Amino acid sequence: MGAINSIEQLEAYRQEIAAEVKADLPTVLVCFGTGCQANGARPVAEAFSDIIAEQGLELNLSIGIKTTGCHGYCENGPLVALQPQGILYLKVKPDDVPEIVEKSIKKGEIIERLIYRDKTTSEMIAEYSEIPFYKHQHRIALRNIGAVDPTNIDDYFLAGGYAGLVKALGMKPDDIITEIENSGLRGRGGGGFPAGTKWRSCVAVDSDVRYLLCNGDEGDPGAFMDRSIMEGDPHTVIEGMIIGAIAIGAHMGYIFVRDEYPLAVRNLSSAIEAAREKGLLGENILGSGFSFDIKISRGGGAFVCGESSALMRSVAGEVGEPRAKYIRSVERGLYDKPTVLNNVETWANVPEIIVKGAEWYASLGTEGSKGTKVFSLVGKVNNTGLVEVSMGISIRELVENIGGGILNGKRFKAVQTGGPSGGCIPERMADLPVDFDSLTEAGSMMGSGGIIVMDEDTCMVDVAKYFINFLVEESCGKCTPCRDGLPRMLDLLTDITEGRGGEEHVALLEELCDLLTWGALCGLGTSAANPVLSTIKYFRDEYDAHIRDKKCPAGVCKALITYSIDPEACTGCLLCAKKCPQECITGERKEPHTIDTAKCIKCGVCRDVCTYDAVRVS
Amino acid sequence: MEKVSVIIDGRTFEAVKDQCVLEVAHASGIYIPSLCYNSEVTSSGGSCRVCLVEAHQRGRMRLVTSCNYPVREGLEVKTDTPLVHGIRRGVLELLMARVPDSEVIREMAAAEGLNDVRFRRDEGENDRYKCIACAMCTNVCAEVVGVYAIAMTGRGADKKPATPYYKPSDVCIGCGACAYACPTGAITITEEDGMRRIWGRDFNMVTCSVCGTPYIPEAQVDWIVRTTGKDRSFFDKCPDHR
Repeated sequence: MGAINSIEQLEAYRQEIAAEVKADLPTVLVCFGTGCQANGARPVAEAFSDIIAEQGLELNLSIGIKTTGCHGYCENGPLVALQPQGILYLKVKPDDVPEIVEKSIKKGEIIERLIYRDKTTSEMIAEYSEIPFYKHQHRIALRNIGAVDPTNIDDYFLAGGYAGLVKALGMKPDDIITEIENSGLRGRGGGGFPAGTKWRSCVAVDSDVRYLLCNGDEGDPGAFMDRSIMEGDPHTVIEGMIIGAIAIGAHMGYIFVRDEYPLAVRNLSSAIEAAREKGLLGENILGSGFSFDIKISRGGGAFVCGESSALMRSVAGEVGEPRAKYIRSVERGLYDKPTVLNNVETWANVPEIIVKGAEWYASLGTEGSKGTKVFSLVGKVNNTGLVEVSMGISIRELVENIGGGILNGKRFKAVQTGGPSGGCIPERMADLPVDFDSLTEAGSMMGSGGIIVMDEDTCMVDVAKYFINFLVEESCGKCTPCRDGLPRMLDLLTDITEGRGGEEHVALLEELCDLLTWGALCGLGTSAANPVLSTIKYFRDEYDAHIRDKKCPAGVCKALITYSIDPEACTGCLLCAKKCPQECITGERKEPHTIDTAKCIKCGVCRDVCTYDAVRVS
Repeated sequence: MEKVSVIIDGRTFEAVKDQCVLEVAHASGIYIPSLCYNSEVTSSGGSCRVCLVEAHQRGRMRLVTSCNYPVREGLEVKTDTPLVHGIRRGVLELLMARVPDSEVIREMAAAEGLNDVRFRRDEGENDRYKCIACAMCTNVCAEVVGVYAIAMTGRGADKKPATPYYKPSDVCIGCGACAYACPTGAITITEEDGMRRIWGRDFNMVTCSVCGTPYIPEAQVDWIVRTTGKDRSFFDKCPDHR
């Protein structure tokens, strides 16, 4: 069918395709997120298609199998979900597929070796919704991801897609803004600025042209929330943007997405194309008389282009550099016209808020931070991946209930939130609720939602150094504090981690932090002090140990550690000696080995391969 | 032009709305140091951060670069506070560490009581010389001259102005506006035997028919003739003998 010319036609079309769905027949959902594809999801999907074609099995939707966006549980990919049973199989290989078809699809049996097994309790769980990783989640922005095929607009219609647009077309633009204001939705890109307030101040500016932008330049190390949304449910972003366009009276919008996200670019492009064909984008949307279109603007991967003014310059084809902060982009943004910029996740929340109402959304979350937030939970935690939870959940709940606790039973030490602009929060503050204001108060920030969990083997000075090094690489170089201050901070941190740190180093670091916070041009610079200040604040003892005792308590900083073998624990298996790249481990079979510390390069291979935990770091 | 009143260091001044704080201050005899700003170049400013001042407005205070912060009714500016001097000293210390050869920076730092650097200095092998990457040269070339022969390249500490591909530029007219505008004198321009050398390219100079001094590159004359329609014979004599 071609363009849909009215709301009535859209609902008729939705009913028409829904009538073809045979809900009681099995559907195989293969995760085609970037992580699962990297783990080999494609051959798995092909194996299913082959068998289904061979045996003439009739599956739901008569589309064979369905490939979806990221389910979030990436470390266990490739993931395969079976509907209507709601079973989730982990780490599926093409060889498993015939058995899944024979046993699970045809007979409804569960294959135990493919289901979730809890690392601490050993409990086996087959139902998707009962797995702890999913059980504690509340999905709004991610509501369709993993359930719909991002390349099939009909699938989005079947999931209730574009109902928000339909409702918005019947509302006054001003009422849409009021709805978003009342929902309490705050920008998910990092700053947490109230979205409705931003929209209203854009409308207040007198102009013939307004633009609407979507920030998909996710750049924080370890963060992949926006990527998954763009890849897994692109129509949600598009629908949110159309609703925003109606509200502010924009007729052109751009999605700025980094080109390192090829799948996101591909799925967004095909979704925009499909939406245009259906009459949801372009001239006279659904016969309403309102026109709006979206183009994709691909970024070259500079971190600073996620900063609003640099992003707008980049979209306009200029060098991505920030500009003076006093110019508000709602007044003079893209091409100097009033512009609303929100991030991917913010836009993804909009359709659901319009459908279910501001009151519903505002009932979730905390006083100052409404709704839910998507986090990428990574680091030294058992279950890593993408999670969406109500605002106000404690760090501990995130790490322990959803993350399944720390890897290998180690001690939970800290979480890093907010990427390079954020900071580290120690375990003793893990009962802190995760919301915009609490994190900022603690010296970190929500950022775009990256949460890196750290255990006792993480050196906090090294963590600070990692982030400052990242920022040194990513500073655009326009202003002095950021361009020249960050390399000096890196110098000082390197000195400390290599045993050259003096008492004055910490004071100098703090002085530079102050300079960046007050003096830098854009958010990249003014927040760059957070990784250093937060680690000094909460882990001062580690700085002191490096400086005074020339020791790295976590055993990370190579210049300050030595490797040795505990003769009591060593069984003389020779494994470490074989693996040592320096060939500096000697010893007879069944006799304790020794490491020649003069030759040792502290690569840690011996400790990694030792099955008797005999390698010591001091 | 809408007039506004603005308070700087406790004194009230009348200024044109949206004029920058630095200009208003300088016109009123209040000195604020700056490097990357030139009133003739609209795209200049905001980079070096030497001119940061306290801006008090609507109950909140932030440090803003006075070279591009517009004055509005009700704005109060403080240029002489411990915070302003502290941050300015910090900026100058970083600049001294970056370009130890620059006399301008050293003098400006000395005026703030700063004579030494506590950080690693960038000395020895680097082609940074006195450049503080403020983009004055590229802004002048683009906005004032209009030839776009140079642009800022790279990012972070490696950011620097350069010709395309770091090779002599075909479009450069050798006018030297970049070098004259550079706040730290970081752009080398040499003249010898009727030739000017800048950005790695040699330019033939036109000689004054009266005094015999080579005074303007031929390429610059070509450019002016082409863009303004001025008669070529106008350039037979140098400005002193016209």
